[in-house]
Order: sequence, then structure tokens, then C-alpha cells
Amino acid sequence: MLTLQNASVMRGRMLTLDDVSLSLAAGRTLAVVGESGAGKSTLIAAVLGLVKLHRGRIAWNDAPVATIRPALVMQEPRAAFNPALNLRRSVMEPLTARRLTPDPVRLARFCDGLELPRDLLDRRPDQVSIGQAQRVGILRALIAAPPLVLFDEPLSALDAVTQKHTARLIAQLQAEEGFAALIVTHDLGYAAAYADDIAVLRAGRLQEVQPAHAFIAAPQTEYGHTLRDAAFALGALEHVA
Amino acid sequence: MIGAVSGLLLRSVVVLTGTALLTFVLLWNAPGDPALSIAQARYATVVSGDVLEQVRAEAGLDGGFWTAFRGWIEPLLVGDFGQSSVTGRDVWPDLLTAASYTVPLALMGLGIGMVIALPLAILATRRPGSWMDRLAVALASLGAAIPAYWLGLLLILLFAVTLAWLPAMGARTPAHAILPAMTLGFGVAAALTRIIRSGILEARGQSFLPALRRRGVTHRAIGRDHVAPHAAIPVITVFGLELAFLLEGLVMVEVIFARPGLGSFLVSAILARDFPKVQAAVLLTALIFVTINLAIDLIYRVIDPRIGARDA
Amino acid sequence: MTINITDLSAIRSGRTILHPTSLTLAPGERVGLVGASGSGKSTLGHALVDALRAQGRMVAHVPQSPDEALDPLRSMGFHWREAERALGASPDPAERDAIFAALRIDGGDLRKRPWNWSRGMQQRFVIAMALIGKPLLIVLDEPTSALDPVVAANTMELLDTYLSNRRTACLLITHDLGLAARRVERLMVMDGGRIVEDTPTVRLLDAPRTQAARALCAHRNWLALPC
Repeated sequence: MLTLQNASVMRGRMLTLDDVSLSLAAGRTLAVVGESGAGKSTLIAAVLGLVKLHRGRIAWNDAPVATIRPALVMQEPRAAFNPALNLRRSVMEPLTARRLTPDPVRLARFCDGLELPRDLLDRRPDQVSIGQAQRVGILRALIAAPPLVLFDEPLSALDAVTQKHTARLIAQLQAEEGFAALIVTHDLGYAAAYADDIAVLRAGRLQEVQPAHAFIAAPQTEYGHTLRDAAFALGALEHVA
Repeated sequence: MIGAVSGLLLRSVVVLTGTALLTFVLLWNAPGDPALSIAQARYATVVSGDVLEQVRAEAGLDGGFWTAFRGWIEPLLVGDFGQSSVTGRDVWPDLLTAASYTVPLALMGLGIGMVIALPLAILATRRPGSWMDRLAVALASLGAAIPAYWLGLLLILLFAVTLAWLPAMGARTPAHAILPAMTLGFGVAAALTRIIRSGILEARGQSFLPALRRRGVTHRAIGRDHVAPHAAIPVITVFGLELAFLLEGLVMVEVIFARPGLGSFLVSAILARDFPKVQAAVLLTALIFVTINLAIDLIYRVIDPRIGARDA
Repeated sequence: MTINITDLSAIRSGRTILHPTSLTLAPGERVGLVGASGSGKSTLGHALVDALRAQGRMVAHVPQSPDEALDPLRSMGFHWREAERALGASPDPAERDAIFAALRIDGGDLRKRPWNWSRGMQQRFVIAMALIGKPLLIVLDEPTSALDPVVAANTMELLDTYLSNRRTACLLITHDLGLAARRVERLMVMDGGRIVEDTPTVRLLDAPRTQAARALCAHRNWLALPC
């Protein structure tokens, strides 16, 4: 279980993360939503231990998060890979870095689960579509079976149809693998459809945390309302008769 | 902005102090006895031990490094460059005279370089890959590959010896400056052509240009108002770096054309181990260098204030 | 005046990315151009604007991100004057103020350069520039994808209000059918460089005929909630 207790991060003289407390149980999905500059990226960096906490603590079952080697799926699929290497080498990195041998059965299962042709991994990042590259990024994140996977705007580079398709594949793999997913996104629609809980972040402060369906039905804060109404206005969510 | 300027000024002071100290250390530790070099330059004959010791005392070389350094730097802080160890004359007026030959030559070189490079680069980038473009690139590579001393001799051979149109040696008339300025100018033109050409090509790749065209802004206006400022940034950067080579080329050119100036001032002072003169010349050069770089940094901030904002 | 254009096409390095296409837009009509990435939507948008401009008609194009529309070294005021000059329009402060007020950017400092404005304000400024001189058509290429949802929703709302009961037609290019369906009365679906469906929004959502349209319809939003 991932816990953030009063986590604060200072950048210059500004608190980019201000007293945030959250928890995420194994196998569950927590979506953190908010506009750019809300502190979503800082939250990810703090969980990964890339920035120092000014106050508070972040832990996985009372141990430092780094001990469980959480994986990260990044926003720009192609930029997440070394352009000179074929995808297979990049994908294996989490294993080779720890001198583990890849399990071919597991790899094949992931390729099938992510609908990636077997030979795709022998290509370079610029030889696959963006949607495929992002699925390879997910494959790389999952290959070493981390108990926690962080998703930083995983769908924003994809088109609407591919987004929904990819989200479904992530959810299926999560059901099989049982990892906890922390998804940072500006897309409330995605959060509403796939997260168990939604946390709203604004200017580094936590506005509210609610189960996803409860949030969509009745946001507790005014800003929560604004976010939800925008999602409806943009057609991410829809009322049907 | 004021903070940025004071930061830049502080940096300049650090550079100047470092330069002064470093040249002094190098000169002090150069092989051979400085007193002997000075004495030989002064009397042009074999000197006795007594004379040598007298020279050593006069030049302030008998008290160790720090005494000598302080003996030089302290008057300098109140604007006194001291006297030549060889002639005993004040360094400052001699330095001014030398600079009065060098600065106009450098400006002429720069002017010639600019007059050649700018139109050439603009013509070349009109259609990248065209014969004009390839010619410009070839000329620029050729210019960069030809050393100043060789080009200088070639020009002397052609214009002074074969055609006998122009004087080659000395600096008596303005016409004497033409060949040295051309030598310098071609080198500058080669470097500038390359930078301006790549600057323009890079600026043409800016992502907002298609939108401007689609908005109906004319080709001419885009070049003037958008491509030029973007191209100017790398050009100015590299120009600051190229400046060092320009100064180096100046020394060479002055020696080839037997012109008085900072180059020959420096060379003769080094040979004679004339500390005050070497130091004065080096410091003046460093000051020019630092000032131009300071100006470049400020121009940057005017063209693109984000450069200053990022540092803060 | 009805926009009627025929035989737009585009070939890049030997590959046809836009097959010969004709389309008609009524004055003041709002049309969505939807399709997957790589289906040729943006290419059609560019071709349409370029062709109409070549005929001497007033059309404007708003690219996806303000970075693709504004020179970071030039002030907002410079961009505005440049756009007016380019259109041959005489400076009209009254019109400018009206557009700025409608898009709620009247508080922006025109002496500042783009990066001193928020991205939402920048994008609205670009849209404002596109409205100079009451164009026949404004083409918006993924106008919301570079913006935060709240800002994006506001921007679309303000533009909708401004365009209502004006003669300017609007072509909204997007991969997001959910977005388009809320904003336009007619939808064109693109697939493989062709318009494969062109029908009123309601009918497309009800009964998509082509594969591409069915995929878009099935995935048009994340959740459909009972009212």
C-alpha cells in the first residue's frame, strides 16, 4: 500500500506540493487530476524519490518506495525510448539492470495482452506508431512485475479511439497482474472511467478525494464542479437519456 | 535586468583578474632568466653580472613573485600601466599608439567580412542546395581552411608584386591597410557566412512560420520580422566565440605586413620579457574581449528576454 | 456566400495523403472534421485554407498549439498589427476590442511577448487574430488539445457565442468525436485520406455507416451517464 502523509515539496520558495495525504492499496487505481501546474508531475517525482520532501513522508508498506522499484509510463511514447536501440533492448532494461533473465512466456503473454505483434520489438522507436510505442512503454513498465506503476498522462499523445483502447488494455493487465496504479491525468473522463478513486489537485494542494462514481455524481468542492462540468462540455463525459 | 547586468559585470571582473594573474604566472615561470632578456634587449650586447643584477633590481625581479606581482598590479589599480623594463618609457602612450593602428584594421576586417558574408549567406539560403548555396558553402570552407599567413602572402604576391597596385609593408598611408584588412576580412567572411547561413536555415524551420504564411504575411515580411531575429541569436553567439580567432589573426596579419600595432607590440615585448608591456597588451586584449562578450550578452537579452529569465 | 471547393488533394513523397476531395460549407455553418490520427484531417484543413486564400477569399486557420502560431520573439501587439496588415485591413481598434472582450482576453498586455501570457490566453489570442476582418471561414485544428480542460471548455464556449448569428463558417478538426458532437451540427468523417461520411451530427451518432465512423462513435466518450 502506497501512503503519502502530509507530503510537501519545495521548489525555490514555492510549495509545488503542499501537505498532500493520499493512500493507494495494492491492485487499486488512484487518479490524480488537475490542470497544468497543479503539482501532478511533482507528485510523481516525489513518489519516485526524484525530489526531496520538504515535509511529510511517502512509503510503501512502511518501507521507502524505492525498495519496490516502481515503474513509470511516460507521456511522450517515442521520447521514452532510446532512438538508437531496438525496442526489445529498451523493454528488457528493467530486467537486465538487475541481471534477471526475461521469461519468454511472460513476455509473449504481455505482447498478446497489449496487442503487439511479436516482431514489433525488433523495430526501433521511430518505426512504430505512437499508439504502439505507448503500449511498448507499458510493456516495459510491467516486465519486472512491479507492485506499483505510475502513469504520467499516459494517453494524452494518443487519439480519442486509441486512448480508450489503450485504457482498456491497461485495465485488463492490471486485473491479471494486480499492481497498484497511480495515474496522473488532466482527463477527468479517463479517471472517471477507470480509477477507483479520484484525487483533485490544484496549486499543489489536495482539494478532495472521493470514489470515482461519487465524485462524478457530486464533487465536494467548487473546483471539482468546474472540472467535472468542463469534462461534460468537452464531451469526455456524456449524459444520456 | 539590473541584477543580470551586475552579474555579467562581476563575471567580467573575475575574467580580467584571472587573466592578469595567469599571464603573470606564465611569464614568470617561462624558461630562461628574464633579467638577461631585458638586459640584452636594452643594451644589445653581452652584459656583465653587475649590470644584470642592476637590471634585475630595476625591473623589480629581485623580490620574488608576489612582490613583483604587487609592484605591477597596485599602480595598475589606480590606472598606471607602469614603465617598460627595456626603454623605461611609459607603457600607456605606446599602447595607445599600437591600438590606434590595430583597432581600425580590425574594424575594417570585420566590415569587409560582414559585407561579403551577409549577402552571400542570404543568396545561398534563397534556395538551399542550389548551385549558389553550394558555392557559398565551398567558399566558406575554403576561407576557413586557408591560414591568414598564406592568404596574406598570396595577396602580397598578386597585388603588390605582380600587379603593383597596392603597397604591402608598413602603415604609412591608408592604402597600406587594404591588403591586411582584406586578409583579415576573408577569414572573417568565411566564418560568418557559415554561421549566418545555418542561422537562417535553422530559423526557417521554426514551427510558427507556416501559420504566418497561412495568415497571409508576405515572404519578405516573414524574413525581415521573424527569420532575421531568430537567425541573429546563433550568429551573435558564434560571433562572440569567433572573436578570439579574429584577435589571433590580427597578430599574424600585423607581423606579415610589418605593421605596427598590438600584435607587433606584444611579440616584441614577449621576446624582451618586458613584463609591464606584455601585461598591458594582454589586459587590453582581455578587456576588449570581455566588453564585446558583455555587449553580446546584453543584446541577447534584448532580442530574447527568456535568456535572462531562465538564468534567474 | 456558400463555400464550394472541388478537387483538393495532397501527395507527400509519392504517397497520396489526401485523395481528391470536394466540399461545401454554408455561411455560418459549423462542421466537424473527425478521424483517427493520420487520416488526413489536418492536411485537408491546410489544403482548404490555402485553396480559398488563393481564390482571394478571407479564411483563417488556427493551429493546434499557440507555439505553432506565435513568434516567441515578437510582442502580441506586433502579431496583431501584422495580421491586420496581411489582410489589408485598416487598423480597427473598435473591432479588436470587441473580439478581445468576447474571448475575454481584454486584460492581456499587448506589449508582452506570447510566453508572458498563459497558454489559454495565447490560444484565444490566436483565435482572435483569425476573426479579424470577419472571415468567410475559420478552420480550427485541434484547438483544445494543447489546453487544460477547463480552459479548453471556456474557449470553445466563448468562440461559439461569438460566432452564433455571424456569417463566419467554422470547420472544427478533431480526433475527438465527443468534442465535435457537442459543437457542430454536421460531421465529416475522414479515413485514409478520404471523407467517408458527411452527415448531420445526430444521424451520425445514431447510425454510423462506415467502419471509421463506428469506431469513433463507439469511443466518443469515456462514460455515458444517465441523466
